[in-house]
Amino acid sequence: MRITTMGCATKAACAVTITMLLSSTAFAASPFDIPTGASPSPVFGALPWSQELQLFEEFGTTPVPTTDCVGCTALPPVQSCTSGPTGASLDTFLKQTIYPLPGRNANVGGLNPWHTKINDCVYVPASKTLVASVAEGRPSGEWFAHQRWGEFKPSVYFQSAQAGARSNGGLRDTKQRHGYAVGEFKIGGLYYRGGTTKYTMPRFHPKMPVQDPNSVWTFDGTLPPKLLMARYGESVLFRHFNALPIDQGANMGFGRHTITTHYHNGHHPAESDGYTSAYFFPGEYYDYRWPMVLAGYDTINTGATDPHAGTPNGAGGTTLIRGDWRETMSTHWFHDHMLDYTAQNVYKGNAAMANLYSAVDRGREGWRCNYQNPVNVNLCLPSGTALDWGNRDYDVNLAIADKAWDQSGQLFFNIFNTDGFLGDRMTVNWQYKPFMNVRARRYRFRILNASVSRFFKLTIATATGQRVPFYMVGNDGNIMEHAVAFPNAQSQDLPEQGIAERYDIVVDFKQVPVGTKLYVYNLMEHKNGRKPTGAIPIADVVAGRYTGDPAVGAIMEFRVVALAAGTSDQSMNPADYVEGKKQMIPLPRATAAEMAAARHHTFEFGRSGGTSDENPWTIKTDGGPGFNMDSKRVSAAPTKDTLEIWHLRNGDGGAGADDGWSHPVHIHFEEGIILARNGLPPPVWEKWARKDVYRIGPGPDNSGTVDIALRFREFMGTFMEHCHNTQHEDHAMLLRWDIRNPGQTIAIPSPKATWAGVEYEDTYDLETAVNGAPPPAGAP
Amino acid sequence: MKRAATWFAALVLLTAWLATEVSAAGAEGGWHGNYFPNVVLTTQDGKKVKFYDDLLRGKTVSINFIYTSCGDICPLDTAQLRQVYTRLDGRVGKDIFMYSISIDPERDTPKALKRYMHSFDIGPGWTFLTGKRKDIELLQKRLGIRPNTPGKLKEHDTRLIMGNEPNGSWVKRTPYDDPKILADLLGESLTNFASSNNDSGLSYDKAVQVTAGTRGNYLYRTRCDSCHTIGGGDRLGPDLAGVATSRPKAWLLRWIKEPDKMLKEKDPVAVALTKRFRNLPMPNLSLNDDDAEALIDYLKAEDKRRADAK
Repeated sequence: MRITTMGCATKAACAVTITMLLSSTAFAASPFDIPTGASPSPVFGALPWSQELQLFEEFGTTPVPTTDCVGCTALPPVQSCTSGPTGASLDTFLKQTIYPLPGRNANVGGLNPWHTKINDCVYVPASKTLVASVAEGRPSGEWFAHQRWGEFKPSVYFQSAQAGARSNGGLRDTKQRHGYAVGEFKIGGLYYRGGTTKYTMPRFHPKMPVQDPNSVWTFDGTLPPKLLMARYGESVLFRHFNALPIDQGANMGFGRHTITTHYHNGHHPAESDGYTSAYFFPGEYYDYRWPMVLAGYDTINTGATDPHAGTPNGAGGTTLIRGDWRETMSTHWFHDHMLDYTAQNVYKGNAAMANLYSAVDRGREGWRCNYQNPVNVNLCLPSGTALDWGNRDYDVNLAIADKAWDQSGQLFFNIFNTDGFLGDRMTVNWQYKPFMNVRARRYRFRILNASVSRFFKLTIATATGQRVPFYMVGNDGNIMEHAVAFPNAQSQDLPEQGIAERYDIVVDFKQVPVGTKLYVYNLMEHKNGRKPTGAIPIADVVAGRYTGDPAVGAIMEFRVVALAAGTSDQSMNPADYVEGKKQMIPLPRATAAEMAAARHHTFEFGRSGGTSDENPWTIKTDGGPGFNMDSKRVSAAPTKDTLEIWHLRNGDGGAGADDGWSHPVHIHFEEGIILARNGLPPPVWEKWARKDVYRIGPGPDNSGTVDIALRFREFMGTFMEHCHNTQHEDHAMLLRWDIRNPGQTIAIPSPKATWAGVEYEDTYDLETAVNGAPPPAGAP
Repeated sequence: MKRAATWFAALVLLTAWLATEVSAAGAEGGWHGNYFPNVVLTTQDGKKVKFYDDLLRGKTVSINFIYTSCGDICPLDTAQLRQVYTRLDGRVGKDIFMYSISIDPERDTPKALKRYMHSFDIGPGWTFLTGKRKDIELLQKRLGIRPNTPGKLKEHDTRLIMGNEPNGSWVKRTPYDDPKILADLLGESLTNFASSNNDSGLSYDKAVQVTAGTRGNYLYRTRCDSCHTIGGGDRLGPDLAGVATSRPKAWLLRWIKEPDKMLKEKDPVAVALTKRFRNLPMPNLSLNDDDAEALIDYLKAEDKRRADAK
């Protein structure tokens, strides 16, 4: 809509409009460039707290068949270059059994089912033709073959297609573990919702426009957002189809039709990690195989005798598994990692969450709980009681992200501003200001910051800003050694939460009267996408005195209702697990011998490519020149079965250094234990944590330096480390590192994909890649 | 009367604001004429061109911002992009267009731009442009390039914007990226791989031994390779084969570190070299003593490797 052509009914009406516009935060002179480079997103009359929160929809897994399906078909055809298959045909297709059967090597035998259409759409005029194409876009041959395939052969699978937004056809209604038949999900329960997600439309609010198929791209093309529920010891195969338009420009201004799927921090082999250059094309699929094993599988508890290392067997028992139970992980997500386009694609909807269940975190309360008897390993975090594992009645995934939309309501992204992109509307599970009914009992929330560039500071409080105490039990998806109470001496609210960080918290709604309304507030202010400017006092927010960043304020409402008759809260009380009391999952700290033998690498994120120009997006490794991403360059090559100490530095590298930008640094594959922040012990919420995102740079809970210890075990291959402000990442604040076998001298080549399949290019090492360099002065 | 004037002023303000904000929103899901300013620029040949209509519309392009009087690092941008140009093998000017726009338009007259292009031996299809300062600043803003700090031209944002106007795909990199990566982006990825050599076989079995690069090797690749060869003949600058032994080491160390000072002091060898290479001065690349030593070691090692290979 062009406002310049908008008429005013009367002069007075115009004057009012002008006053409003001139005082709006989007006025050019305003310090707030939010949404980045655009006008405020209209709300179309949608009132806050007028729609109910949608819960994540489970993908649902199925046993992998042993024989090839007879009569199964390929991905349905497309009618035009600018659209995907029809919703109905996609649902029919996704319902059928996986076909062909997955294999150790990429399936490059068949043609892309859209081969002919690609020829028509891409090669205009027909100067060339597509000679070869592939069914699977996974790089061929040995380098991206599934490692240890026989040992970790997938026993279950799920399949989905990345596709344009459409109405939900109820495809996965029968795939929900609760089956809409138990606990809060059965008729009369809080979350029954008619027993279906059918007709859920892709929009932020019922009053807002439905998203165009090319504005939003998601798993299945539908909402609610999707969730993988997996168990340790049960190897999962995910066949991801690319059903996006063949035409690169059919994207409503942003988003890339070639994709690669990164499982954010599973202990998974490289070929299934979603390497940025291992992307695949429309019509193709990629088989990701996630073994779901505990780190330390090869060296610790190899006889599977430790009762803590186990997985629910589905029948009220526990199967013991190999590995180090202290590496148990719980809350993950997976999302696009396409080189140059990650921010756009994740923002557009290519993101799902994953809950991983284990003997200690099995999603079942009141059953052989650790709080009842220390011999029991089940921590009994809030969840539910009906199922043997994976109850979600009181265990809720919340993906929070800022978005913006244009005047017609379609999702908007500014691809030219690369300092960082901010939206002006906060969404929870893709919804604008939803409410959620909660029982007067303990809940677990798995909170993901799914933004592009926005840092959060979240808290729970009443409408008048009275804070409600809660506990953090998991940091970056890993249950901590001890629960941490909030408010505490170091922070009143949740610590700053960078992009991709997950905080698992437990809130007891029993502490307020039934009928109370509580709110999740975001207090962190941004003026632009480079960094947060600081937390706003909650008193100013609730009083309406604060009018700067539109994403500061209440983003979600809880309405406390009474416990259902005959039910009780059987979850653990986190107060029993704080420092000095019982432990949840102890940290697998590095031993003195490991520390002494460790190799060191230093990574400096920030300005300067070793040149005098302004070039903020580089990483300097081990004191060398600042580089952007080159997928052929290996910056670090740790040897399998060793521990290394990695030193993350912001800007010019000194303690407390601050180049004026914030970078949430993500290291793939391994969890790290923070040894020091600015040379000092980390704050209490990191002291007991295994992390995979490390904030460096300005911010209330940040520091200029972070030192971490990492082990590299079980799998090899090509992984990454990068800034998870995905706008920074896209501009190549990204590096490649490889895990190698001891004595290995062959580098894994770098994949380079086209419509015809994947070729490889030669790889080279930085001089310091294998041996590292001495640690910075004063670092551990 | 006074009320009417205030009213009018408010309206003017509003219109001005709308002109920047609303069009900045990239309406109707695309980045086309409604987003890119159609400002008039002047080419090195003195020809007036419209930014959107003449330079962008329907094309795949690369755009960077330069100034010709820059004595140190900036010439490396141009030298690096010249490598990209070469790699694109005749496509620049046909289906890919390269633009370098001056951020110092008062000094960078068409004539100055032409002289600069001559120094870098730049062929057809790559256009250098100048124009009105405020127009160029608007272009920087729209392309997501940080504005220049007054008096600090040297620190300007040198990033390279590459895009395909019809399909609306745009990426930013730096001229210091591997020229092959930049050429692949421009020539393949941004155009939906329509031009990729897609009938070549899959060659996963062609992996090589790990090559660990030395510091000298990296510096050479990123700082020298765009203008020099070692044994491959003169490029924008002289062939460096044997130079590590033929020149006195002290002279060479200094020439690598501060060529601008030596030229100012009229060092005879430096002056003669510059004259021989179309008056393209060796740039100051902010290299330190260690860097210069590492480069000389690398040059010597390369000389030895080539001698051994014979």
